[in-house]
Amino acid sequence: MMNPEIESSPGNGRFLSTLQQIWRSISVPLTAVLLAALIGAILLIASGASPLEAYAALFKGSFGNAQAIGRTLEKATPLIFSGLAVAFAFKAGLFNIGAQGQLLFGAIVAAFLGFSIEGLPAIIHAPLALIGGAAAGALYGAIPGALRTYTGAHEVITTIMLNYIAINITDYLADGPWKDMTPGNIVARTPKILPSAEIPYIGNVPVGFILSVLAAVVVWWLLWHTTIGYEIRTVGLNSHAAHYAGMRVAWTVILTMALSGLLAGLGGAVETQGVVGRYQPGFNIALGFDGITIALLGKTHPFGVIPAALLVGAMKAGSSQMQFSAGVAKEITDVIQALILFFVAADVIVRWIIRMRASDGDQVTFSSNWGQS
Amino acid sequence: MLFKRLSILVAILLLFSLVLAACGSNAGNEPAANSGEEMTAEEPAAEEPAAEEPAAESDCSSADVFCVGLVTDVGEIDDKSFNQSAWEGVQMAATELGAQVDYIETKDAKDYATNIGLFAENGYDVIVTVGFALGEATLEAAGNYPDIKFIGVDQFQGEAAPNVAGLIFNEDKAGFLAGSLAAMLSESGTIAAVLGTDLVPPVVAFKEGYENGARYINPDINLISTYHPGGMDVAFTDPEWGASTAAQAITQGADVVFGAGGKTGNGALIEVASNEGLYCIGVDSDQWETVPEAHPCLVSSAMKLITPGVFDLVKAAQDGSFPTGNYFGSVGLADFHDFDGQVPQDVKDKLAEIDAGLQDGSIETGYNPGG
Repeated sequence: MMNPEIESSPGNGRFLSTLQQIWRSISVPLTAVLLAALIGAILLIASGASPLEAYAALFKGSFGNAQAIGRTLEKATPLIFSGLAVAFAFKAGLFNIGAQGQLLFGAIVAAFLGFSIEGLPAIIHAPLALIGGAAAGALYGAIPGALRTYTGAHEVITTIMLNYIAINITDYLADGPWKDMTPGNIVARTPKILPSAEIPYIGNVPVGFILSVLAAVVVWWLLWHTTIGYEIRTVGLNSHAAHYAGMRVAWTVILTMALSGLLAGLGGAVETQGVVGRYQPGFNIALGFDGITIALLGKTHPFGVIPAALLVGAMKAGSSQMQFSAGVAKEITDVIQALILFFVAADVIVRWIIRMRASDGDQVTFSSNWGQS
Repeated sequence: MLFKRLSILVAILLLFSLVLAACGSNAGNEPAANSGEEMTAEEPAAEEPAAEEPAAESDCSSADVFCVGLVTDVGEIDDKSFNQSAWEGVQMAATELGAQVDYIETKDAKDYATNIGLFAENGYDVIVTVGFALGEATLEAAGNYPDIKFIGVDQFQGEAAPNVAGLIFNEDKAGFLAGSLAAMLSESGTIAAVLGTDLVPPVVAFKEGYENGARYINPDINLISTYHPGGMDVAFTDPEWGASTAAQAITQGADVVFGAGGKTGNGALIEVASNEGLYCIGVDSDQWETVPEAHPCLVSSAMKLITPGVFDLVKAAQDGSFPTGNYFGSVGLADFHDFDGQVPQDVKDKLAEIDAGLQDGSIETGYNPGG
C-alpha cells in the first residue's frame, strides 16, 4: 500500500502527513489490542483451549451474521455514550468516575417516563423519555461539578460517592414506589415500558446506535467548533491561563460535568428503551465504568470512542459463543479487556515496543489540578 | 519513519498468527473429553471448568442423542450454591441417563436470551435455566422452541406453558425447621438471623419461616433478625458485614445464628465459628461441604434440594412424563455431621414431627407473600 514512490512525490505530502497523524494516534491503541490478544492467546493455551478456535468463535459471535453484528452494535451503544461522557470531561481536565451513577439515573427516569405516561404517540413518547433520562443524568452530573467549583471537593472522590448513592436510590425506587406489581413478580424491577416509548431497530441495527454516533458528532462539533468547546479545552489545559484570559472557569466546570452526565444519562435511557425494556437493578452494572476504558482506548477523542466501544462491544457480544463452541471461560474476555486497558495506560511499554517517542499534547492528562483549587 | 513502524506492526501480526496457527493445530488433534465426567458431585469446586471440551454441536440435532444444556444466572458454575447444585443435577443426568451435557455461564444479565438461544439452535432437548431472573427469557424461548423442554430453577410459573416446568421451593418451610432447631438448641433464649437483602423474596421467606419456627417452640424467644442494608450488588457478597452483624448479635446474647445470604451469610457463620459453644445454621445447600471454616458451629443447614429436583425433571423430560407449571422441590435440614451426638434425640424427634406437620399441612409457617 505504502510504496516509496508515493512517499517521495511532493503532491502527496499533505495526504501523507494526515496519514501519519492518524497512524500516530491509532498506533498505541492498536498495538495494545494486539498485545492483549497475544497474551490472551497464551492464557488460552494455558487453560487448554485452542486460541484459534476461541478467537474464531469470538468473531462468529460478534460479526458472524447479521444478528451477531446487531448484537455487537447493541452492546457498543451504551459504551459509546459512557465513553463520550468520560472523554468529554477529560477535555476540561475532569475525571468523571460518576458516569455509572449518571447512567443509572438516566436509565430509571427513562423507564419511569416510559411506563407511567399513557396515550402518547411514539414520536413524542420515546423522545420525551430520552430527554427525561438525559436531564436526570445532567442534573446528577452537575452536582459534583458544583461541589468542585464551590467547595473544592475533588470530582474523583465525589463521583465515586455519588455512584453509591445512585445505586441505592435506584434500587429503592425499583423495589418501592416504581416496583413492577404484576402478579407473580417477586424481584425488584419497574414495569415494562409501553411500546410507544421503545427505541426500535432498523433491520438488525439498533436506532440507539445511530443516536450514539450522532452524539459523538455533536460532541466533536461542540468541542472544536464552538466557543464553549474552546473554553472547555482551555480550562482543561490550564485553568489559571483560562481564568486570566477572562473565561468563566467555575461555570465551565459545572457545565462540563452536566454535559458529561447528560451523555451518560442518555446512554442509560437508550439502554432502557432500546434493550432492557424496563429498569432492573443489576442490569446496567459496569456500563459506566467501562466508559473509562473506552475513553482511554479512544484517546479521549469522540471519534476514537466509537471504534473502542465497538471492539469492547464485540467482545461482550461474542463471549457466549466463545464459551459454547470453544469451551473457554467467560472471564477470558474480561482479562483481554483489562490487558488492553493496561497496555493503553502503560503507554511507555507500547511506545518502547513500537519505538515511538512521546510527543507533547499527545498524552492523556488525568486531572492536572489535583489539590489545587 | 512511517514505513518502519508499519513493518514492525506487520511483524507483530505475523508473530501473532504464527502462534495461533501452531497451537490451533495442536489442540485440534486432541480427542474431545466427555464433559459429563469432568466434575463429580462430591467435589465442592470444579478446578478447571474452562478446560472442559464442549459437546459436539452436530450430535444434539439427531433424535437419539439426548442433550441437556444449562444456562447459569450471572455468576460461576462452581458457586457452591444454586448454579452448582443445578449443574450437579444435570451431571447426574449425564451419568445415569446417558445425556450429553454442557453449560454456559452468563456474564451479563442481558445475554440470557442469547445463551438460551445457543443451546436451542444447536438442537438441545432440555434446557435448564437457573434463577428467577431468567424467567422471562425462558418463557420467551419456550414459545419460540415448542419442541424443547425448559426447566426453570426458582422460576414461579403464573400460567403454565406447555413445555416449561418451574422448579420452586417452600423456603419458609426450610426456615421453619431451622428456626425450630435454633430455638430448641438455644440456652440463652436469644437467637439471630443474618440475612441477604429483603429485595429477594426467598430470603424474606427464610426469615419469616425461621422466626415463626422459633416461636412455635418458644413463644417468648428473643429474635434478632437483620437484613443487609445495601442493594442487590453487595447484599450477597459482603462477608465482612455478615461477620460484624453476627458478632453484634452474639454480644446481645444470641447463641444460635442463622446465616442466609450467600457470602454475607457465610461471613456470619465463620464469625460464629470463632466463638466457643455457639451454634450456626447454613442455608440453601449443605454448607458443611461448602464452608469448612464454619465446622466448629455448623449444626445443620436449611436446604433447598435443587440437585434431585433438576435431575427428576430432566428424567421426566426424557421418559415423557414432563410436568408443566410449578414443580415443588423438597426442602429440609441437612445432616448434623459432627454434631449428631450433641443434638438430643428428643430434638430430632420433634424436628421429624414438625417436618411431617409441614408436609401434611397441619403446621403452617405463617408466611403469606400474597397477603
